[in-house]
Amino acid sequence: MTSAMKIMWARTLGILRSSYTTAFAYAGFLAGAGALFAFALEAAEGGTESLAVVWTSSAAPVVPLLAAVLSMDLWSEELRTGRISMLLSTPVRERELVIGKFMGAWTATVFGLVIFLATSIGFMAAFAPALLSRVSVLGFVPGLLALALQSALWCAVSLAASAATKSVAVSGLLSVSLTTLLPRGIWLAILAWSPTGRQELGAMPIDANATDMACGLVSSATVLTYLGLTLFALFVNSKLVACARLVGRGARQLRMSTAFTIVAAAVLAASSITLVHRLDAKLDIPVGGTERKTFSARTRNILSEVRGELVISAFMSRKDPHFRQTAHLLRSLSREAESVGGVRIQVRYVDPVWDIGSAERLVREGASRDSLVFERGRLKAYLPLSEGIDERKCTSAIVRLCMPPQRRTVYWTHGHGESSFDEYGDFGMSDIARELVGDGYRNLPIDLSDKDQIPSDCALIVMAGATHDFSRAELGRLDSYLKTGGRLLLLMGSSESGGMTSLLSTWGIKPSPLPISDGPTITGTDIVISDFAEHPVSAPLRGSQVILERPITFTPSAAASESGTAVDRIGYSELALSQGRCVAAVAERGAGTGEDVALRPTRIITVGDDTFVANAQLESRANANRDFFLNCVAYLSGSAAVAEDGTRTDRLVTGLDRDGRGRLLVFSSAILPAAVFVLLALLIASGRRNP
Amino acid sequence: MFEVRNISFAYARRPVLRGVSFVVSPGETVAIVGANGSGKTTLLKILATLAQPEGGSVLVDGQDALAMPIRYRRLMGYMPESPALYEDMTVKGYLRFRAQLKGEPEKRIRRRVGESVEMCQLAPYLRHPIRSLSAGLKKRVALADAMLLRPRVLLLDDFLSGLDRDLRVSSESIITNIAAFAGVVVTGHEIADMSKWTTRFLVLRDGKITHTVSSAGIDRESLVAKVDAALSGGAQ
Repeated sequence: MTSAMKIMWARTLGILRSSYTTAFAYAGFLAGAGALFAFALEAAEGGTESLAVVWTSSAAPVVPLLAAVLSMDLWSEELRTGRISMLLSTPVRERELVIGKFMGAWTATVFGLVIFLATSIGFMAAFAPALLSRVSVLGFVPGLLALALQSALWCAVSLAASAATKSVAVSGLLSVSLTTLLPRGIWLAILAWSPTGRQELGAMPIDANATDMACGLVSSATVLTYLGLTLFALFVNSKLVACARLVGRGARQLRMSTAFTIVAAAVLAASSITLVHRLDAKLDIPVGGTERKTFSARTRNILSEVRGELVISAFMSRKDPHFRQTAHLLRSLSREAESVGGVRIQVRYVDPVWDIGSAERLVREGASRDSLVFERGRLKAYLPLSEGIDERKCTSAIVRLCMPPQRRTVYWTHGHGESSFDEYGDFGMSDIARELVGDGYRNLPIDLSDKDQIPSDCALIVMAGATHDFSRAELGRLDSYLKTGGRLLLLMGSSESGGMTSLLSTWGIKPSPLPISDGPTITGTDIVISDFAEHPVSAPLRGSQVILERPITFTPSAAASESGTAVDRIGYSELALSQGRCVAAVAERGAGTGEDVALRPTRIITVGDDTFVANAQLESRANANRDFFLNCVAYLSGSAAVAEDGTRTDRLVTGLDRDGRGRLLVFSSAILPAAVFVLLALLIASGRRNP
Repeated sequence: MFEVRNISFAYARRPVLRGVSFVVSPGETVAIVGANGSGKTTLLKILATLAQPEGGSVLVDGQDALAMPIRYRRLMGYMPESPALYEDMTVKGYLRFRAQLKGEPEKRIRRRVGESVEMCQLAPYLRHPIRSLSAGLKKRVALADAMLLRPRVLLLDDFLSGLDRDLRVSSESIITNIAAFAGVVVTGHEIADMSKWTTRFLVLRDGKITHTVSSAGIDRESLVAKVDAALSGGAQ
């Protein structure tokens, strides 16, 4: 960097520092990005996106506007006032002036990003300290760098637009059009033209690039494209500034040659971008330790218990919008397996277009495009991407390939008003049943009035909110089943559900007739449960939130006792509590030997809400209901490997209720920007009085 | 030696300069006068490398200046007709910025700024924001800027316009100081004022230098009368 560039850099910062437009730009940027951040946090609640990615995706759409407003008059003002003559008559090349101005605008834009990062972290510290305590500030650095890379392009484009006209208004319009309206307009046009575009193409590429880099997936093509386009924009800018000299008839040839040079540079830039996309290399960089995926206890157990080698082939295009998350998940899974000293996972990427040989082999073996292929020896399991890929599905595939089959059928009672596992409505249980299938269970109905024995492959019986009483014969059969080491998961909407009260009392659990109506709530009718007891079912849920609709409570009955032999003793344990009241409990006979799966102790879990894993509830990602249910099933089914099942701890949970979210929105999108505007305006006014 | 050789320039269909040639020796102050639109400002813009001539050349010590513009700009100082400055800066800050931008080594900047300030009599205004200065003082700041690097040739476009009487009077000593180290080319309409320090008048008419009036050997009144006569189309 030459001395002239540094001088222009400092001068540009000086101009921006003394302009009220800067205060307006920063305030507008903070308001826009702050509002998007508040909304994005709400949308990401309960999801697997990291806070850094949410932050990056909030800033990405607004950064072009900040860069455009800061840069839009940097050249047009020089042209309008005539200062351009003064600049061009100095012994300095145009490109030095251009780079100096660019550096100034870029620095100011990055400074805006840093302010937004600092204030976002501040808001998180104030509104969601628990979430922030799990996040390292270093985790935001890749997102900041990604946005800085993008903002370099926006600044260069806006400066070029600014050099094209004397009018600040026209320059502003041109800058905003080129950096924001045009790219997003084209994207919206593509989506309008192709209704399935969003599914096929994923997120808006510019935003996706930023979030990709924020979570450590760096594409050489993307980085080089931004750098190349920035250089091209600076080149055009330099030529446009030089054009200020090209007046009169004598400069006609020079004007022509300048136009030709710009076109040639555009062709060169387009060719280079095409080439770098052809030779694209993607790096998955573990960023700051915080972005490494955290796996559940269950997954870690399975990975550590399985030995040998497992090959996972991602049979998909690298341009697929799901590639980023999938690659990240697979690499994390491989690293996790290595760290727990279990199965050795080899991840392969097979692009259907570029890796023709491998793709042909996979297709010949029955794999379809856009799927994950798990291979262990001659055994194979396929996961289509269309069904969504997550940790649980991958773990289930590994279990299917690597672990011996167990008796794993879940029987659902029916005929008494229960929610059914094959019902797809809001109150049906089809979604959670599908999850069970993914974990290797079968779901079957069972009629307790049938005189046949309860099948021997029964892992557990689920009673999901019976509204009519079971007959004495049915209860008798159930009791017999339990006495022989049966397992029961009871979802109760009321204490009278299914007429189970007396049976439960003999097994140590006494349901209370009154539902809870007070406590932390989101909608007013639900209760947020975040107090989990030290038990294999509930302990992994700590830090999560289970949401129950007006749950009933449980207390231990007289049958529960601490005395007796290990085999006969019925132990009662609380699983989840709301303000000290138990809303989910477990009773175990032979609990003292509960770890001995072969002895098959009786286990009954009761949850005081019969709809907490109904389809409508599972649509919300803001709760850990699904994990709670699957933990219960895993524990009841008695597999040692899954007894320590846990919820995924990498869920983004702010713990904010509706009021908290509202306050965050108001503070981040209105109060802070207004304060920043006033502060900057005062500083600018003071600077103008005493330059 | 600063030599302008056969410079011609035209806008799309309108020729402005047609073969303008003249020479400025060191220590000489040459005034180019002519009616509005005669091409004075365009000529100075060409000499300041802000416009591209259709033909002709500019030589400094026999070397083609327009072929080596960066080197030439180090030897040349230019003050435009309506100088536009960074209004948010102080006079001192602005002159420092300009000296730095022109590539003056840091250790000499202080001295250069001091010399320019002294010559242009700007010392009382050093800490004043430029936006608070009058148009005449702003012109003096622009002049100080133009002479910062002690150029070999100084181009002053419409130097005296907008200056009040006191400033016009002080301009005499300023130009005399400058002429000690540079050849000066100045344009304007204030013939009487310019006659106090101009060594030669060039009358620009229809894109050509039609008259050259030297101040040597004649009194000021005769000089002004001769230039006026030349401007109104008198004998060459």
